[in-house]
Amino acid sequence: MIDAWIVFLLLLLAPVVSSIPIVLAYKSKEWTEKLPYLSVFGIFISVLMSLYIFFTFPKELPASQFAYPWIPDLGINIVLITDYLARYMGVVTALIAFFIAVYGLDYMKGDYRPSWYWFFFNLFTASMLLVVYSDNLFLLFVGWEGLGAASWGLIGHWFRDDDDIAYVGKAGRKVGPLELSWPPSFGGWRAISTIRFGDVPMFFAIAAIWVLTGNLNISEIDWGSLFMGIGAAGTIILMLCFLMGLFTKSAQVPFSEWLMTAMTGPTTVSALLHSATMVAAGAFVFLKVTWYIEPWHLHGVPGLEVVYTVVLFVGLLSGLYGALAGSGMLERKVLLAASTMSSIGLMFAAGAASFWIHEEIAGINLALLVGFWYMAVHAFAKASLFLVAGHLIHATHSRFCCGGLEFAKRMKTPFIATIIATTFLVGMPPLTAYWVKSAMDEVMELLWHEHHMLIPIILLILTSLIYSAIMARFLSLNFVRGEKPEHEHLEGGGLMKLGYTMMVSVLFILLYLIFTNAETEAFVHAGYASVSFAVGAGALIAYVLAVYVPRLKVFSRVPGTFFNDRMYLPFLNDYIVPKTGFFISRVVQNYGNRGIDGFFNTRVIPGLFGIISRGIRAIQTGYLKSYVKIVLGLVMVFLVIASLWGLGL
Amino acid sequence: MGLTLNVMDMGMLSALVILTLGSIGSFKNSRLGFYGALIALVIAFSGIIVSAAHFVSYGIFILVIAIINLVSLEAIKSEIKGVDYGLVALMALATMYIFNTGDFALVLAALVLVSVPTYILVMVREGGANVEVGIKYITFMVLATVLFLIGAIILVYTKNAFDGSLYVLGYVMLVLGLCLEVGVAPLHEWVPDVFSSADPIPISIIASLAKIVPFIAALWILVYTSCDLTVSITLFTAVIAAISMFVGNIGALTSKELGRVLGYSTVANMGYVLSCFVVVAEPAFIYLALAGGLLMLFANAAGKIGFFNAIKGGGAYSPLMYLLAFSFIGVPPLMGFWGKLFILLSLAKMEYFWLVAIVVVNSAISIPYYVRLATELGVDWKPNLTNFICLAAVVMVLVTVFLLPVEWFYSTMEVIAQTVGIAI
Repeated sequence: MIDAWIVFLLLLLAPVVSSIPIVLAYKSKEWTEKLPYLSVFGIFISVLMSLYIFFTFPKELPASQFAYPWIPDLGINIVLITDYLARYMGVVTALIAFFIAVYGLDYMKGDYRPSWYWFFFNLFTASMLLVVYSDNLFLLFVGWEGLGAASWGLIGHWFRDDDDIAYVGKAGRKVGPLELSWPPSFGGWRAISTIRFGDVPMFFAIAAIWVLTGNLNISEIDWGSLFMGIGAAGTIILMLCFLMGLFTKSAQVPFSEWLMTAMTGPTTVSALLHSATMVAAGAFVFLKVTWYIEPWHLHGVPGLEVVYTVVLFVGLLSGLYGALAGSGMLERKVLLAASTMSSIGLMFAAGAASFWIHEEIAGINLALLVGFWYMAVHAFAKASLFLVAGHLIHATHSRFCCGGLEFAKRMKTPFIATIIATTFLVGMPPLTAYWVKSAMDEVMELLWHEHHMLIPIILLILTSLIYSAIMARFLSLNFVRGEKPEHEHLEGGGLMKLGYTMMVSVLFILLYLIFTNAETEAFVHAGYASVSFAVGAGALIAYVLAVYVPRLKVFSRVPGTFFNDRMYLPFLNDYIVPKTGFFISRVVQNYGNRGIDGFFNTRVIPGLFGIISRGIRAIQTGYLKSYVKIVLGLVMVFLVIASLWGLGL
Repeated sequence: MGLTLNVMDMGMLSALVILTLGSIGSFKNSRLGFYGALIALVIAFSGIIVSAAHFVSYGIFILVIAIINLVSLEAIKSEIKGVDYGLVALMALATMYIFNTGDFALVLAALVLVSVPTYILVMVREGGANVEVGIKYITFMVLATVLFLIGAIILVYTKNAFDGSLYVLGYVMLVLGLCLEVGVAPLHEWVPDVFSSADPIPISIIASLAKIVPFIAALWILVYTSCDLTVSITLFTAVIAAISMFVGNIGALTSKELGRVLGYSTVANMGYVLSCFVVVAEPAFIYLALAGGLLMLFANAAGKIGFFNAIKGGGAYSPLMYLLAFSFIGVPPLMGFWGKLFILLSLAKMEYFWLVAIVVVNSAISIPYYVRLATELGVDWKPNLTNFICLAAVVMVLVTVFLLPVEWFYSTMEVIAQTVGIAI
């Protein structure tokens, strides 16, 4: 048994340390071609450590918590946890990062700044691992900010904005005052600015939790008495501030725009961003916190139901929005991005449903379990699809969907990988996601039957059907019924193929795990329910139809264009918010700054100096006569005052 | 006191004899005046080492300032070459001696001894005498000395036969005399004119060595005669000090001529030193005021010597100029910083917090013109007399880097404060 702290140190630091040499050697072309292998090796160490933790570390508190003091006076400590969520998610994160890294060895060959890419890629992985294993909210926040910084670096990786292949949107397409086309540098900026908008309230929420409870360890905080202490309004404000961080990171409506333009980054980045890090981080932290809040035991706490209702509907609406927007898109990666947002929404919704769900399997709340397993399945499937998309972009020199059956014959591996990834993901029986989705149907059905909430299950079914169709659309437009690509560049790509083949094969392992694990028994059970089967059959039909008819001429203008333009949500990010900001800054500038600076600093003080200085110099006439008058006069005045004062004594 | 002479008095006496002989000899050869002055200073200082070891740190500063002043006189060919060394040495002897006496008459004598030689020095210039400046200067010095002496006598009188109204009158007269003597606003009118139109070398002496005794003498007398009224009358010195800081700094900030800038800088610095006079009501904190005031005066002396010599020599080595400017501004750990720090501490102890704020604000106002002085006077390195003198001045302000005054000057001042207390 290796010491726990060595394992954690290797797990968290190996990716970062192994990417330092390439940073130092950034000037040497020769070294930057070789050193990526070292960076990938660093991530491989993380994979080994996460597996070691998975198989040997304790599962139950208090043994699963590992604490090392940092700033104990402020409750800031290095506290790591190896509970159910962390041990599984750790493996998922490390494994996916490793597969993508292997793929990246091929994909990023010949890039103009490999040092930048590999450093931030590994930092991204390490940050997510820190988020996954942290029990301390502050430590988690450190990882959280690492994700933010790394995502900015990676999304804006091609900062020169000189290649149309890295853009999002059609160049020159204008709607009103906005051009719906975004270069990488702008994509990076949109990501970091949106995330920051949520991180600040989240930071204050963490600070408030520390002030109110004196503890920052998620598993130790007495959430019930915290919420009781601050009342309904307090609970809602605190949790919404905290959730702002999660919603922005996970690109839930209305903060989803950054995710769509995050596609300006290299495809490997999109793959990592969409599966196991960043967007997944928001949903993951929500599940992690809910796990210990145990809201299903806190029904007497005022305000908490409001919080969970908000999350439920934000999740479901994001799910529907993402699926609908994706149905109108023709850009490979942006289509996938919209579908990711949809999936993440469903994870939030499932997690939020835990408030009303009491069913437990092996001591775990069914709704949380569903949310988490959907995250895992989605991660591998979506990462595979992104990697395929990247390969296709390489092969066709186009970021728009194109390719027919002829093309598919020459690109067998990506074709098969896409079929597996999409069918396993959309929830058609009897493939992996079907069982998880079935359990999700059951959760929403319970909400309907036991709590008379009909809308969630309707939204879920609607989303599932459209989602299935857009995944099929991705397959069809790229391999079956798409237009013939203008360029075909089919050689090479061995490591790329290896990457997504390994990735997609994990879906079989997950299917196996669902049937063998004790806690997922309920998924299998739910799969045999008639409602679930009906939904699964619907998904299958939607899938088949969409493969045959990927584009409907009737719908291509309305609502196709409307969906493709993401229902004009870009206006919020690029017009309304900045215009409001400029308005406020103008007000501050004109009435605040000019008032203070202009009046005080350029009028009052210099004016006063001028007057005093003129007075001082006016005395210096140079004539002894006037000096004597002044001095004698002053001396007389002082002496008279002194005499008067003396007389008054 | 009386007929028995101790080692220090012996030393002083022999120093005076040598000084006189040297000055007479200088009519034949001006070198004799220089060496006579030098030997007299060393003998007097040795007397201090032997008989009053706790004055060494004070005495050594005076010795160094005086020697730099003597050497700097080399830069000017005056008509009284030879005698001018004697005059400077005489001022230095009086300055060294003032702490060693408990005799009121000798304190006043020291004041006159330091004051009168400057009447002659101020007129020194190459080829003739600067009579116009002399008249301007002497007029106010005579008035200052008269006010100071009458104020002092009145104060000492009230010590024996207390009379409140007389005390107030004496206090005000003494402080006004001091203000005129050293150039505190609003009685500073002579300072900018004299500083900018006289020769820089004698002015560097007037701005350095001549400032120390008036302050010590005034502090000595005020502490000696302090009474119940002192607490309220210190407000008068505080207000005058504040006015002087503002007038000095704003005047310097908005003046062009370098000599004039330095003149106003003196007005401001004298304001800083005067502000620590608020402690006279509380003997327990006098050591703080002494430490602050004296370090401030020494830093001012070093800076003025350096800058005036640079004006005379057409600029000096740039880094030296900047170090002197930083000392004036009060950048730690240069001497000017410690001076200001102890002054602020003494003000804080007396709960004059508004004055603390004013000192800090004024330090900020002073930054631009000191930097400007350093920029305008700074030139490349040349091995000449000006640079040598500036180097000596810089070594002086750097002393506090190596010997932290907290440990060293501060404790000396505690001993001195006690001695002065005993002497009184």
